[in-house]
Amino acid sequence: MGNLSLKRFVKVRNPHAQRYKRSEVTTAFGFLTPAMMLSLLFIVLPIILAFTYAFTDYYLLKPHAKQFIGMNNFTRMLTDEVLRTSFFNTLQFVLLVVPLQLSMALGLALIVNKKIKGNSFFRAAYFSPAVLSLVVISILWTVMLNPTSGLINQMLANFGLQKQPFLTSPSQAMLSIIFISAWSGCGYQMMIFLAGLKNIDPSLYEAADIDGANTMHKFLYVTLPALKPITMFLVITTTIQAFKLIVQPMVMTGGGPDYSTITLLQYIYEYGFRHRNIGYASAITLVFTVFLVVVSIGIKKLFKEEAA
Amino acid sequence: MKILKKTLFYLLAIVVALQFLVPLVWMILSSFKIDEVIYRDARTIFAIIPKFSDLSLKSYVELLGFYNIFGNLLNSLIYASITVVFGLTINSLAGYALARFEFPFKDWILIIIIALMIVPIEATILPLFLVVNEMGLINTVLGYLIPFLVNVMNIFLFRQHFLSFPGELIESAKIDGLGEIGCFFRIVVPSSLNMYVTVGILTFLASWNDFLWPVMALSNADLMPIQVALNAVFSDKYNIFTSHIMAALTIVTIPIVILYIVFQKYIVEGSMRSGIK
Repeated sequence: MGNLSLKRFVKVRNPHAQRYKRSEVTTAFGFLTPAMMLSLLFIVLPIILAFTYAFTDYYLLKPHAKQFIGMNNFTRMLTDEVLRTSFFNTLQFVLLVVPLQLSMALGLALIVNKKIKGNSFFRAAYFSPAVLSLVVISILWTVMLNPTSGLINQMLANFGLQKQPFLTSPSQAMLSIIFISAWSGCGYQMMIFLAGLKNIDPSLYEAADIDGANTMHKFLYVTLPALKPITMFLVITTTIQAFKLIVQPMVMTGGGPDYSTITLLQYIYEYGFRHRNIGYASAITLVFTVFLVVVSIGIKKLFKEEAA
Repeated sequence: MKILKKTLFYLLAIVVALQFLVPLVWMILSSFKIDEVIYRDARTIFAIIPKFSDLSLKSYVELLGFYNIFGNLLNSLIYASITVVFGLTINSLAGYALARFEFPFKDWILIIIIALMIVPIEATILPLFLVVNEMGLINTVLGYLIPFLVNVMNIFLFRQHFLSFPGELIESAKIDGLGEIGCFFRIVVPSSLNMYVTVGILTFLASWNDFLWPVMALSNADLMPIQVALNAVFSDKYNIFTSHIMAALTIVTIPIVILYIVFQKYIVEGSMRSGIK
């Protein structure tokens, strides 16, 4: 996924091939036109708009009263309490869900990688939540986590445990969303880890056996290093995905209680779409996008340095 | 010793499997019960084991009386299919041009595509809403569908795929009198079906599961795709019982389960290639 190292994909042109064939150029642009028109209109233009609106007080219901206000939106962000809360909520989600989900996925992959009877059943069972849409997952769990009558509380009662408020409590709501996201997402990553495990050369394990390594040693010194490229790929994609959390809090909690589950993307949505405050929301969008790009480049660098 | 170890391993595998299966089984079973039975059974094993005398289609009949779920389901099916057909055509044509032809600014176009791949779509969704709004296309099917036909990641995947497409095949077809467009649709597409199915399925699922964009782009209940309609059912505090919600969730999930069973291989392969989810 080295989509940042441009040189890998861009051919160094042969200087003798500079003259293009006219028919070829026409065909090429004919093939490219629909995609180019649509991306200019719906990808490039929005990015440019976000850039320009970020420095204005654009309010959607009064489009003509739009004024340039310089860096005001950006200085406002520094003192915005709810924005700070959304940032730390999002960060908390990312920092907890990525390790949780990936270690669950690896654990599941190790189970189904064993050559036992019925392992295709286990694989299907572990993967099954990944089939559901985020909206279905969010609704199902909101019902199951109901503080009075939900299935989970009824089950807790069966074990003599106290009922928990889950999504209705500021201290448990985000943790519940983290658990649910890991529960529903780890099946996918299990499949990817599994593909990685199947690719490990069996002779490595034989060699380790000869050296008298136990199961733990084999896992630490053979399995984990061999899975490193896959793990890196998964850490990057899951982290970026996690920063964009919005559907679960939108459906399950609406960002509450007490802003305990509101996320960055949701805050942008609330400000820009619900309150129609385009200027401020665009400024946040801009910072958020730059932040995500920096994070993804940063993680890649980190892994590369460690590999070197 | 070995048998003990094996038993423990199976026990672990089963307990873990229950964690994933219990919510799903409960969802499906509850959709066939009435609310009193759901809550009566919640503390017993019958929450997840069917007792056939308790099951009925009552909640389904009532739900479909209140809400036009099948209409929304059909909407989603149409939207996703259109996105797949036009999206595949547009993106693969672009990917093919970038892989096969030499033309000015080619490197620049490629660099821009790679740069756009890094920009998360969700982050630009608000200005996108403004663009569609300016065009007067909010609350229309056209305005909802058009922005997501083009997908830079898919252009890139197709380009990588077509780079290794054997040029001799195309040359010989040209000698037989096919033009570039003919070559593309008669030779290139049929021999890359695997690729098309993989990208197509992922596009279908992304469209089917999308929630944020339709919430912004479509507010007319008749046009809503199923995910948004589902949230509307869930938010309806007056008419709706738990059993209705579970029936709705089950109905929505069935087509996707079928899709996964049929296209299992492509979905896993495809998500590894593009890193979605």
